[in-house]
Amino acid sequence: MKKKNWNGFLIAGCVLTGVLVALMLLGKFWTPWSPTAMDAKAMYQPPSLTHLFGTDKFGRDIFSRVMQGGGTTLTIALATIAIGAALGTLVGAVTGYFGGIVDDALMRLNDALTAFPSILLALLIISLVGPGKYNVVLALGIVFIPSFARVMRTQFASLRDVNYIISARLMGAGQLRIMTVHMLPNTMRTLLPALTIGFNNAVLAEASMSYLGIGVTPPDASLGNMLRDAQSALGRAPWYAILTGVMIALLVFGVGLIGEGLQKRDQEVD
Amino acid sequence: MNKKAFAAILALLLTLALLVGCGQAAPATPTPVPDSGDTPAVETPAPVQSGRAASNEIVIGIAQDLDSLDPHHMTAAGTQEVMFNVFEGLVKPNAAGQIVPAVASEVQVSEDGLTYTFTLREGVRFHNGEPVDMEDVVYSLTRRMDGADAAAKNVALDVISDVQTEDDRLILTLSEPSGDFLAYLMNVYIIPMDYEDLETHPIGTGPYKFVSRAVQDNLVLERFADYWGEGGKVDKVTYKILENNEGLVLGLQSGALDLVNHMTSEQTSQLSASDFHVEQGSMNLVQALYLNSGVAPFDDVRVRQALCYATDKQAMIDLAFDGYGIPLGTSMFPSFSKYYDDSLTDYYPHDVAKAKALLAEAGYPNGFEMSITVPSNYSPHVNTAEVLAEQLKEVGIQVKILPVEWNSWLSDVYTNRQFQSTVIGLESNNMTARKLLDRFASTAANNFTNYSNPEYDEILARAISSVDDAEQTEAYRQLERILTETAANVYLQDMADLVAVRNGLNGLTFYPIYVLDVSTLYWG
Amino acid sequence: MNYVIRRILMLLLTMLIVSFLTFLAFELVSGDVAQTKLGTEGTPEQVAALRHELGLDQPFLLRYGQWLGGFFTGDLGVSYYNPQPMWELIGPKLGVTLILAAISFLLITLISIPLGLLSYRLAGSPLDGLRTAFNQLCMAVPPFFIGILFSWFFGITLKLFIPEGFPSSIRANPGEAMTQLFFAAVCLSIPRIAMTVRMMRSTVIGEMQKAYVRTAISRGNDRRGVLLRHVLKNSLTGTVTFLAQTLAELIGGSIVVEQVFGIPGLGRFLVAEIRALDYPVVQTIVVILAFWVVLAGTVADLINQRIDPRLRLGGAK
Repeated sequence: MKKKNWNGFLIAGCVLTGVLVALMLLGKFWTPWSPTAMDAKAMYQPPSLTHLFGTDKFGRDIFSRVMQGGGTTLTIALATIAIGAALGTLVGAVTGYFGGIVDDALMRLNDALTAFPSILLALLIISLVGPGKYNVVLALGIVFIPSFARVMRTQFASLRDVNYIISARLMGAGQLRIMTVHMLPNTMRTLLPALTIGFNNAVLAEASMSYLGIGVTPPDASLGNMLRDAQSALGRAPWYAILTGVMIALLVFGVGLIGEGLQKRDQEVD
Repeated sequence: MNKKAFAAILALLLTLALLVGCGQAAPATPTPVPDSGDTPAVETPAPVQSGRAASNEIVIGIAQDLDSLDPHHMTAAGTQEVMFNVFEGLVKPNAAGQIVPAVASEVQVSEDGLTYTFTLREGVRFHNGEPVDMEDVVYSLTRRMDGADAAAKNVALDVISDVQTEDDRLILTLSEPSGDFLAYLMNVYIIPMDYEDLETHPIGTGPYKFVSRAVQDNLVLERFADYWGEGGKVDKVTYKILENNEGLVLGLQSGALDLVNHMTSEQTSQLSASDFHVEQGSMNLVQALYLNSGVAPFDDVRVRQALCYATDKQAMIDLAFDGYGIPLGTSMFPSFSKYYDDSLTDYYPHDVAKAKALLAEAGYPNGFEMSITVPSNYSPHVNTAEVLAEQLKEVGIQVKILPVEWNSWLSDVYTNRQFQSTVIGLESNNMTARKLLDRFASTAANNFTNYSNPEYDEILARAISSVDDAEQTEAYRQLERILTETAANVYLQDMADLVAVRNGLNGLTFYPIYVLDVSTLYWG
Repeated sequence: MNYVIRRILMLLLTMLIVSFLTFLAFELVSGDVAQTKLGTEGTPEQVAALRHELGLDQPFLLRYGQWLGGFFTGDLGVSYYNPQPMWELIGPKLGVTLILAAISFLLITLISIPLGLLSYRLAGSPLDGLRTAFNQLCMAVPPFFIGILFSWFFGITLKLFIPEGFPSSIRANPGEAMTQLFFAAVCLSIPRIAMTVRMMRSTVIGEMQKAYVRTAISRGNDRRGVLLRHVLKNSLTGTVTFLAQTLAELIGGSIVVEQVFGIPGLGRFLVAEIRALDYPVVQTIVVILAFWVVLAGTVADLINQRIDPRLRLGGAK
């Protein structure tokens, strides 16, 4: 097949994600209303032209909060996969490349961490370091290391005995150089889709943590804690839960499409 | 062509399988229980509720599990609230806020206030059918006094210097007069002597007896037929534990629950009036932004006063509680009408300019940053903190909210006093005004706000030892005024207690303390 | 043989690490159970006395050693709040969660394997995009949100079950209990089904492009026959591994779903007990979960070895 850089999924995913991300970035600087301003006379207003998504329990504009809270969620998800992918790649590279006893030891620890249900691990870490958005990042980051480590280990192990790596080694390239310059770029095809999946898991995990009451703390908004908030008023303001839920789903959906697109592109390149 | 049809079927299949086909598929799922095969999976809630009225039982939703079934070990207010129906002391509280005889039939106090004589009531039986005798009473009292069981010890009973028995009479001698002594005896629940299984199968003398418990799920009580008094009307009471807020609302709507108390207006507003009525009482607690006077900047009275002026209580109540709640200005609530001084409520009217001026005077013209620690499982307190943060922003104070788990709150805030401020409600679990005020004595072990004021200490000491009621009342009122004037804390409100009750269920009675008396409830 | 010993050692090692990490976490968490038990009324002396009574004043490693010793002699310790035998406490909740996991697993297997096998046929058609999008959408909705919507729609509106009205025991009302577990299982399964279908599809497509399949088809074998006889078998090892992983993750996922439906299972219990700092109970549950995860992996390995005997030759790859 001919080489094609773009496909339907990639385009649709990028457009959807682009719009959402632009909205959330804008939310860092400007929102139609102040996301924290309260109004006792405007509690739980249904969506209207004044309040696009309606208002919440304190009469705050939900759309503004989605813009700002979406940003928080986005930051958390990105920071989480950054930590998870960086440390996971490091562990995966070391264990996959060297093998032997380091591999055994680290992978057993990895297994043990995997044996913790991720929400439980997050719960324990949060009760250790306290709530707050940075701690959510820390907890989720740690939770995400093992899966990245596993994926990257397989990659590095399979590249270890590939001809050009062997020749690089024969030509006297240092271990570090081989791993970073020769091997790492070749793992990208696996890493990129893994990153999109990781991103989505991080968004959903943030929502689940908020649901269990260990997520982002008020008055900071995040899509997760807004959804939790909305649920306790589902009978009074159903639009609140539905719109917030849809925003989470759209964000995850968009990035999921990008992941599909990337994978499809790689298949077509073959 | 073929593909299209296939795709359509596929899409349909997915949707059906995932979303709709469930009802039909339910009986087909594996069932380890042998006799479940032909039970219809579908059950409408309607017959369940009418069924409960017919079988004379109720289901009550509560938000947390019981911390202990041993009445001398339970400390959580939520546990006392439930087990009030199972256990009694020699005396117990009534709905009017008085202390009335229970396992004792009569109480006599000597004129000097040093000797208390209790006459054991005749015909009182434990739930296992055994009669209550003097040995059981002395055993129960000793268990709370001697400290052999650390968790059971109640230091307030240290004032007892001698315990004597004479036939059916128990005579207690005090080392010094104590106006509130009887109140502390309410929690000396009478249990059978040397009974070992309190933690798993508690036995008391109350109108309801324990039947079973599934940890973190439910607790079942049954009417005690041999109760000495009037006793309960409903035959079976099930408490269902549902930790999440929407769970309680869903449970009421679905017919799983008949009664839930301590609800928020947000929750009750979702219930339909054709199924439920909402009764409003008061929580009888002092909700406030408690300030740690031991740390800067709250060691400066002007800063504390500025916070009081910056806060708009009524606006907070409107925003976070739909207007339900009684604003307070000091550590006392209206139920204690004898002590309550309403003139203190508006001592600090909402006044941003004044607040800013006081802050400037104290050296914070541009405000400062502070943190509010709140127990994350109490959403009303978290909501309150959120509104306060917004109000304080107006005078330049930037607030960071730190929701913590209850056990962290207990250790960090309450015990180790490592906090700046916290939103919490403090109650009096034994119906005494003293309980609300003695924690602000500078040396009190539970003075977690580090409030320190020699004048306060002196008046408090006088009030406690006073046997003259008028004098004591006056002293307590003075203490309240001092707390307000020195802006010890930013006092907010006595929260409303909203109780959702299924229509047809009557007889709900509010007590001035944290209990839910199920013996007065009845269908009809 | 050698394999069995290795597996058992691995299981022990995992449980050892997991239990130690949990123990460590509880050591570092602020607040202690003596304080929590005594609440706002406890005096410092009482707290100290209770700490002593519960053995909390002993050195950290000694306590861990005692727990380990107890564990290997079958003594799981006693809950700080409910002094009944540990199994009486955990057993019923474990049972509920196991049923939930079993139903979910059945749903996932029964729905996703056929769908995954068949979905390759859509490859290349415009509808394939739609299917992929739908697949992604199923993975994009938080399971607890689906749970809330289910409770409202199937519970409150259609009255198929009573939300938050799980019977006091499964035996008390098996029909109601199983219906609730079924809906909870559906919530838990939706994203996993989507994932499994996606995984199956790419495996099958990869397999179908291999030379032997093309040869078989070009020799006139019918497509479906090839698919069922060869492709299914060859893509099965990956699927089994994936499903084992799913089985392991179901327990974790049940924590949130049980909370939504008010189902008294292990996950919901675990969250409550972590909050109450009830260390012996948490430790026991964590060890059970770790055991579960390792067991799932082991079973997957054993099945794969039956399917593909080459895997038996010590090759750990």
